[in-house]
Amino acid sequence: MKIETTEKKPWRQIEFRIERFKPGRIDPPRFQSFRVAVDDQMSVLDGLEQIRLRQDAGLMYRHSCHHSACGTCACRINGVERLACTTRILSLNTETVVLEPLRGFPRLGDLVVEMTAFYRDIDPAWSLLTPAEPIHGAADPAEDPSLRLEACIECGCCVSSCPAAHRHAEFMGPAALAALHRQMAKVDAARQHDLLAAAASPRGERLCERALNCSRVCPTDVYPARHIADLRRRAKASGTPPSLK
Amino acid sequence: MEHILIIGGGVGGSLAHDLTLRGYRVTLVERGELLSGTTGRHHGLLHSGGRYVFHDAETARECYEENRILRHIASEAIEPNGGLFIALTDEDLSHRDRFLEGCIAAGIPAAPLSPRQALAREPTLNPALLAAVRVPDAVMDAWRLAMAFFATARANGAVIRTFCEVTDLKMFGRQVAGVRVIDHRSGLSETIGADLVVNAAGPWSGRIAAMAGIGVPIQPGPGVMVAVRGRVTQAVVNRLHPAGEGDIIVPQRRLSVLGTTAWLADDPDQVTAPAEHVARLFALCAELVPAVAAMTPHAVWSASRPLLQSSPNQDPFAISRTFDCFDHAARDGIEGLVTLIGGKATTMRAMAEQTADLIVRKTGRDFACRTRETVLLPYRRYWRGDI
Ligand SMILES: Cc1cc2nc3c(=O)[nH]c(=O)nc-3n(C[C@H](O)[C@H](O)[C@H](O)COP(=O)(O)OP(=O)(O)OC[C@H]3O[C@@H](n4cnc5c(N)ncnc54)[C@H](O)[C@@H]3O)c2cc1C
Ligand code: SF4
Ligand code: SF4
Ligand code: FES
Repeated sequence: MKIETTEKKPWRQIEFRIERFKPGRIDPPRFQSFRVAVDDQMSVLDGLEQIRLRQDAGLMYRHSCHHSACGTCACRINGVERLACTTRILSLNTETVVLEPLRGFPRLGDLVVEMTAFYRDIDPAWSLLTPAEPIHGAADPAEDPSLRLEACIECGCCVSSCPAAHRHAEFMGPAALAALHRQMAKVDAARQHDLLAAAASPRGERLCERALNCSRVCPTDVYPARHIADLRRRAKASGTPPSLK
Repeated sequence: MEHILIIGGGVGGSLAHDLTLRGYRVTLVERGELLSGTTGRHHGLLHSGGRYVFHDAETARECYEENRILRHIASEAIEPNGGLFIALTDEDLSHRDRFLEGCIAAGIPAAPLSPRQALAREPTLNPALLAAVRVPDAVMDAWRLAMAFFATARANGAVIRTFCEVTDLKMFGRQVAGVRVIDHRSGLSETIGADLVVNAAGPWSGRIAAMAGIGVPIQPGPGVMVAVRGRVTQAVVNRLHPAGEGDIIVPQRRLSVLGTTAWLADDPDQVTAPAEHVARLFALCAELVPAVAAMTPHAVWSASRPLLQSSPNQDPFAISRTFDCFDHAARDGIEGLVTLIGGKATTMRAMAEQTADLIVRKTGRDFACRTRETVLLPYRRYWRGDI
């Protein structure tokens, strides 16, 4: 039962301009161009895969799920933080696709950045599960309500786009504050208080400049700025002492 | 202690975890990011085993057992909302009794539901359904579940090197003594010595075996998946029939993933997602949940199953999803090399256990497996190992 795959008909030649970096070798970073035959379904990640498999086996980028679930493939595409796997190349409406790594993270090579700093203010134990939105007309059994994974896929797009995160290295940043706010909904009052105190600390919500870049770039509609606004409101209401400033 | 080198950052992660728990020194090399092969981009179904009761009782039983273990050791990476098998035609319905019997035989708790009961839970199902059976399927975050194994292995001392591609095996006559790798960061090649090398390169394992001048019974079996926006159901929806194309919808986060197709390929690196497969997935999955017909693809991708081949040109859906590990000393007279092939993401822990048992025998040790009861560290500890 051998089914041959039909090679998709290439529609257009698109130039991929990729910022290359190899510590000590291509250092400082410089752009390199590749030409890729593109059809109307191909994602930027598909383009990167073609370049790696057919033109340069040493091209480094992160990828895993190919459908906006893992968060690894985030980079700057034509200057904007996006997921390579869900960005259709032709939807960009450009002849050239410029790819750069996320900003504000140490670079490991080409488009790959080191994510340890992203997790600095996210407690590894914070829960990943949350009640799923009810489906219209469904009788969700009360004894085992449906759960889903949190919307945040920890891609780092928001942090890379956040002007405050680049100005203040100590800023907890949009992803951690959004995650903290989500965790508050799952714990008792005493723990909520501790979480709010962390959010109201000098490294917390007060450093946010409400530029809203984070909510604009977030690929999974987490809207970090809304979570930060709510933390700010609650911090004010609970009267976190200004002496912390 | 013996140094074991694992090639491949897919189910290799669960093996790294098992071997470090048993006390071995472990290095794992992966040519790209971890989970950039099949294990990061499969359909996301934590199988109850229901899909296999018709033709593969061994895999069915294995899946249910592992399903329960993973819910215990990695609960945070699993959406535990169950699954439904639904019958849409008289032919589907004719499979129901055999399905229920198969579930009982495999120890899988299965509960028949009337169409009304099924529609009350999942109102988007095809209202023409004739019957449903509820099973303990679940949905995994492919990345986070597997990263929990890597995080724990790393915390226990495993050295994990990404963007580090094996280009050759280091051989002394018929003995494998390590690997040649190119580190894509530095561009430099180096040799990593090892007492034993494990080929866990999934659909690419044939290439690694060829470096030792031998073959392994691997058949890359790609399949296409399509994600659409929105959870169309809370539970996984399967068609009640022997496994085929486009018969599973896996909701995950605020997406639903339609899948899959299957064919046999020679080169796992040249796999595309043909447009006609995408159209077929929409058409077939719309039979399960009609609303799917009006949706557009959010993402389209393909992945290659590392199928354990028993004879050439089989129906890819009928090939057993069981796994095997080969000691090439016994099989081909090559010492120091073990290959792990087949299985499912759902059975990655069991695959690791069986392979590590073989390694224990080969190294003359007496270490018991502890992965059934060892709760994994949160996957974020992979990056925050220091804390
Ligand atoms: C379409 C599809 C849907 C599926 N759905 C499900 C599902 O819903 N549930 C389920 O449980 N299972 C599912 N599976 C099965 C499951 O995904 C696979 O059985 C499993 O992930 C295979 O893991 P692996 O580690 O053997 O292969 P891989 O995950 O591919 O790992 C091999 C790794 O080796 C690396 N590698 C290759 N060559 C080299 C080299 N020279 N040097 C270094 N590294 C190298 C690769 O980059 C890769 O990361 C599905 C599979 C497919 C194809
Ligand atoms: S709203 Fe705040 S957190 Fe978001 S990008 Fe702007 S400054 Fe950063
Ligand atoms: S909040 Fe959105 S942009 Fe930020 S890490 Fe999470 S998914 Fe990415
Ligand atoms: S590859 Fe997982 S989010 Fe893009």
